[in-house]
This record gives sequence, structure tokens and C-alpha cells, in this order.
Amino acid sequence: MTQDNRSGRPQGRPPEGDARLSRVEAQLRGPFLLFFVSAVVWLLVASVLGVITALQQGSLAAGPFRDCEVFSYGRLVAVQRNLFVYGWGFNAFFALNLWLLSQLSRFELRNGWLATLGGAAWNLALTYGVAQIFAGHQNGFGLLEFPREVGPVLAVAFLLAGFWPIVAFARRPTGHTFASQWFVVGASFAFPLTYLLAQLLVLWQPASGVVQAIAHSWFVSNLLLLWIGASALAAVYYFLPKVLGRTISGYYLAPVAFWSFFFFAGWTGPAALLGSPVPLWIQSVGVVAGAMLIVPVIITAINFHGTLSAESGWSRAWNDTTLRFVSFGAVAFTLFGLLNAVFGFRGYNATVRFTSFAAGQEQLLAYAFATMVLFGAAYFVLPRLTGALWPSAKLVHVHFWATALGVIGSVVALLVGGWQAGKQLADASVSLPQVAKAGAAWQYVLTVSAVLLLVGAVAFALNAFGMILKSSAPASEGRHD
Amino acid sequence: MNDRNRHPDNNRSRRGPSGAGSEGPSDGRLVEVHSQLSRDKDEPAEGFSLTPIFIVFLFCGFGFWAGLYLTRNSGDFSPAAFDLNAPKAAVAGGPVAFEPDAAKGEKLFLANCAACHQATGLGVPGAFPPLAKSAWVAGSEERIIKAILAGLAGEIEVNGAKYNGNMPNIGAGLKDAQVAHIATYVRQAWGNTAEPVMDTKVAEVRKAIGNRGQYNPADLLKEHPLEAK
Repeated sequence: MTQDNRSGRPQGRPPEGDARLSRVEAQLRGPFLLFFVSAVVWLLVASVLGVITALQQGSLAAGPFRDCEVFSYGRLVAVQRNLFVYGWGFNAFFALNLWLLSQLSRFELRNGWLATLGGAAWNLALTYGVAQIFAGHQNGFGLLEFPREVGPVLAVAFLLAGFWPIVAFARRPTGHTFASQWFVVGASFAFPLTYLLAQLLVLWQPASGVVQAIAHSWFVSNLLLLWIGASALAAVYYFLPKVLGRTISGYYLAPVAFWSFFFFAGWTGPAALLGSPVPLWIQSVGVVAGAMLIVPVIITAINFHGTLSAESGWSRAWNDTTLRFVSFGAVAFTLFGLLNAVFGFRGYNATVRFTSFAAGQEQLLAYAFATMVLFGAAYFVLPRLTGALWPSAKLVHVHFWATALGVIGSVVALLVGGWQAGKQLADASVSLPQVAKAGAAWQYVLTVSAVLLLVGAVAFALNAFGMILKSSAPASEGRHD
Repeated sequence: MNDRNRHPDNNRSRRGPSGAGSEGPSDGRLVEVHSQLSRDKDEPAEGFSLTPIFIVFLFCGFGFWAGLYLTRNSGDFSPAAFDLNAPKAAVAGGPVAFEPDAAKGEKLFLANCAACHQATGLGVPGAFPPLAKSAWVAGSEERIIKAILAGLAGEIEVNGAKYNGNMPNIGAGLKDAQVAHIATYVRQAWGNTAEPVMDTKVAEVRKAIGNRGQYNPADLLKEHPLEAK
């Protein structure tokens, strides 16, 4: 183990090969770009579907495709959610987690073709599952709507595509580890386990009675928190100190955040079943776990916001494209944690149950937090991997503002609209048509937000694809730094 | 080719590959510095503030609250408790509020009844009538409940033998559930095979008979004739 250069001074250009890429990055360029491009394509499709479903929801009688069975709301909304989570959320984090742990563990991906194979299998299975939903063959369980034969394929594809971070971690040359590594390794273990168990208990050998619903709620919370949430936390832990060039403040608390997050997140699922005929203690465990999730939320808030607050970090973050997105996500995560704790309680939960509130919480976690962090990460990683510049600064601005406004609009509309509707539903003097009428204004906001999110996604895709195409052009391009 | 297969660390510094090398510290440095931070907890380094003690108390408070909430809102961890707003008894025991328990009944029987009727349920010939295989305790629930609650005084024939009974109103000093446990035990011990008795039935009978004296066995038989075997 050579110890000659611990000072961290720049060493000039890497010794051999490509003038730009480190060997670590050169090896994972192929699989990374496959994951990334498929992720962006799915994001675009999901965004288009998001606009259509918002229009349909706003005016069920006169929405688009109202006479077309294949594009009926029930199918589109399932396809939209699945594509966003399995298409965008998974492919993008396959790419980012792989890159992150390769960097931190100095891991050279030798068998990249396996990851590529896994990525191809994942996206093919996804396409098949979506086609089946369009054809009317969907299961009644959110995020498990694909016909059950898709499950094993996705699980195997995940092992091929998403397990490399663990290999990288196991082969790391150094003894000490960094917070990002823990979260990615945890996420990479948590998802396949919960997915297989959920497939088994919900679809293949359906557990009897309420156990099926409990298993499903457990799966959804694990998917959102332990895969999407943990992976995004790993990225924030990496990019904040990396770009600011500063240590995480209160870093010694990070292990507590990691363990408490993984301990409590797995128990939060049953809170979604409050008020249903599930044994009381299971519901209460869900409430308590959701409230105790405030522990990692507070610690990550100290870590992230503390780091950003020191030495005008916020203004530096605002002026850096990556950090602008990442710190937006970090704030969103803190908000999500607080809301999750408060609205797990029976009193508040009773008000917002059966409204759009839960969708708002999911949007806050999956879009305002995870997706924004992913965007920020892409602005950092992609130039390094392609060796090109982002073609258009204007598109970057359009991307940020459209996405930020769209996500704030949709989260506020879903949360506040859900709260209002809940209040009115609980009031016997308000009739159901009146509730629907009062929600129409929020529906309008939702539609506008969906359009904004689509605009942001298109701007991002144009920029990213332009950059990838430019970098794969044969002519040697100029260095951007 | 040989070179490609070597680990990057073998011929490179611990800084690791940092690519373009312009943005921020290298990853190797990032890991190192943070690992140092988490080891040296007591060093007054940058970013360390007085928050920890506050955090410790706060998190202990959360833990304490979590325990309280769980014990108070979990229906004693019963698999049959679903509704927090259900009546307390129903929450504790689920849909069945009261479970007649012959084991509890046995204890109560030994304390209150066995002095005369004996632990064997056979009584004392010529003095105290038997309960084992007695038609009086089987059949109608109300008959045995009334006997326990109010007592019996007068001539009584049990299993073909005559006794001059004087049974005090033992049940008047017991709770409904206790009387139900005793009656259930008596109706199911020593070869008796009658149905268990519920506490609600005891409460009903207690209310119906009010505060009365001992029954004459003949009167009690008029109200609840012995069932044919």
C-alpha cells in the first residue's frame, strides 16, 4: 500500500490511456451510459404520461383518450408510477450507485458486460410489464402491478445490474469507509430482499387475509425509503463535501443516522394501514417507526444543512449547478421526514386518509428529494464520463426552474389539496360533489405542474443526449476544464 | 493487458483517481478525512458543536415516548385487537370480552366452596350435597347462578339422597366474573359436562333477583325444573 502522496495535491494528468478518464471511470462508462440513457427515456415517458393523467384526473368526463380503453386512467396512472419508479428511479440509481462506489472504493468494473446484460434484462422486463398493464393485466397492488412473471426477471436483473456497488465495497482497498458507501450498500441489499419477499407473499403464494396488505405496505415503504431514499442520501453525503471541498459537519453522527434510518424505515409501512382491520400493534409500530425516523432526519439535517450553512455554503451551492439541485433535495428530505412523522399520528392521519396527501408525500420523497439529487449528480458525473461540456447553459436553467417550480407546485397541490379534501370529507354538511369542486383548483395546479415537470425533463434530456452524442463523435474535443 | 488487470492502488497514490481533478477534494481524501473525523471524537475540530448532549436527551426522549405510545396504543399486542376506539374490555380481549376460565374457577372454588362441598365435589354424605354428576348444577345456568348468589335453605334432594341444606349467599360477595368462573368450573369438573357460564349472564341474574334471601330449593326448582337426563 503506497502512502507516498497523502497530501492530496493534484498530480497532474493520469499516467496512461485516455487523457481525461481515470481507469475507474473508463471501465464503467458503458454500463453507466446504458443505465443513464434508459433512465432518462423512461423519465420522459413518465412525464408525458404524468401530464395526460393530470388532465384526465382534472376532467374525467372530457379528458384525453376518454374513449380508448387502453389509455384509460386506471392503466395510465399505474404505468406512470411504475415507469417513474422502476424505469427512472432504478436505472438512474444503478448508474449513480455504481459510479459512486467505484469512485469511493477505487473499483475497476471488469465484467461490465454483466451489468449491461442486467440493465438490458431490467428494461426489457419493464417494457413487457408496461405492455401487460396497457393490455389490462395488472395486479391490484401499487408498485407491484406488473404481472407476476415479471418479478423474478426484475429480481435477477437487479442482481446483475445493481449488485456491483456491493462488489466494489467488498474489494475496497482501504479499511475505512464513508457514509455514502454505507447507504448504497444498505440500499443494494435491502431492495432485492424486500422485492423477493413481497413477490412471494403478495403474488406467488399470497398470504392469507391482512398479511398480504401488511406485506405490500412493507414493500412500498422499503422501496421508497430504503432503495430510493437511501441511495439519494448517499449521493447527498458525497456531493456536498466533494463540491464544497469541506468536511460534513457533525459527521460523527452519520453512523447513527445510517443505522437508525435502516432500522426504522423498514417498519414504517403499516402506518399506511391505519384504521384498517390490521392488528392494532402493527399499526402502532408503523406510527412509532415513522415518528422515530425523525432521528436520522434530524442528523442528516445537521449534516447537510450544517455543512451548507458554514462559510456561505448556501450561496456557493446556489451558484453551482450540481449543488443547487442537491441542496434542494436535501431540504426536501428534511421536510419529508417532518411531515412523515407528524402525519403518521392517528389524529392527523385520520384527516388525510383517502386523499391525495399520501401521493404528495411520495412526490416529496421521490421527486423533490431523490430526483433532484439525481439531476444534480448527473450534472457532476456526466461531464467526467463523456469528457464533454453541457451543450446549453440556458437549458440547464430551464431544467432547474421548470423542475423546481413543477415539483413545488405538485407537492403543495397534493398536500394542501389533500388536507382540504380530508377536512371536507370529515364534515357531514359538505357533499361529495362539493368536495370535488373545491379540489378543481388544485387539480389545475397539478396539471400545470405536470407540464412544468415535463418541460424540465425535456430540457434535461436534450442537454444530456446532446452531450453524449457530442462525446461519442470521433473528433477529439477540447477539454472543458 | 497486464497493466490493466492491476489494481489502481498498486501503482497509484492513495489519492485515487480523481478524473479531471478540478472539482473539490479527491475521493480518497474525502474518505480519509471523514474517517478521521469519526475516530477523533474529542478533538475540537471544525464543525463540532455542543449539540450532541442535546441530541442525546432528545433521542432518549423519543425512545421513551415510543415505548409509551406502543404500550398504550397496541391493545396489549393482541392479534384480535383492531380498533383503538373500541371499549376497553373489547380492546384487551378482542371480540370475546370474557373468557370463562375453569382454572380460575378452581382456585375460587377451593377458597369459597370446598369447605362444604369438598375439593372432590362429592360433598359430605348426610351433611353437604355433592356437585359431581349433580343435575342441579348442569342444565339451566340461572339455577346454579341463583344458588351461588343467594344461597339455599331447606330440604334438598340430590342424586337420590336428601339433605337439610343451608348454603350461605357466597356469590353476593363475589364479582360477576368470579361467580362465572366458579360456575363454569363446577359445571365442567368431576365428569360434569355442562356449558360454561358468562359473566354477563351472572350480572343479568344478579340484577333480576335483587337483594333477596336464600332460596327454598323447592321454589328454585319451580323456577328452573331439573332437566331430564
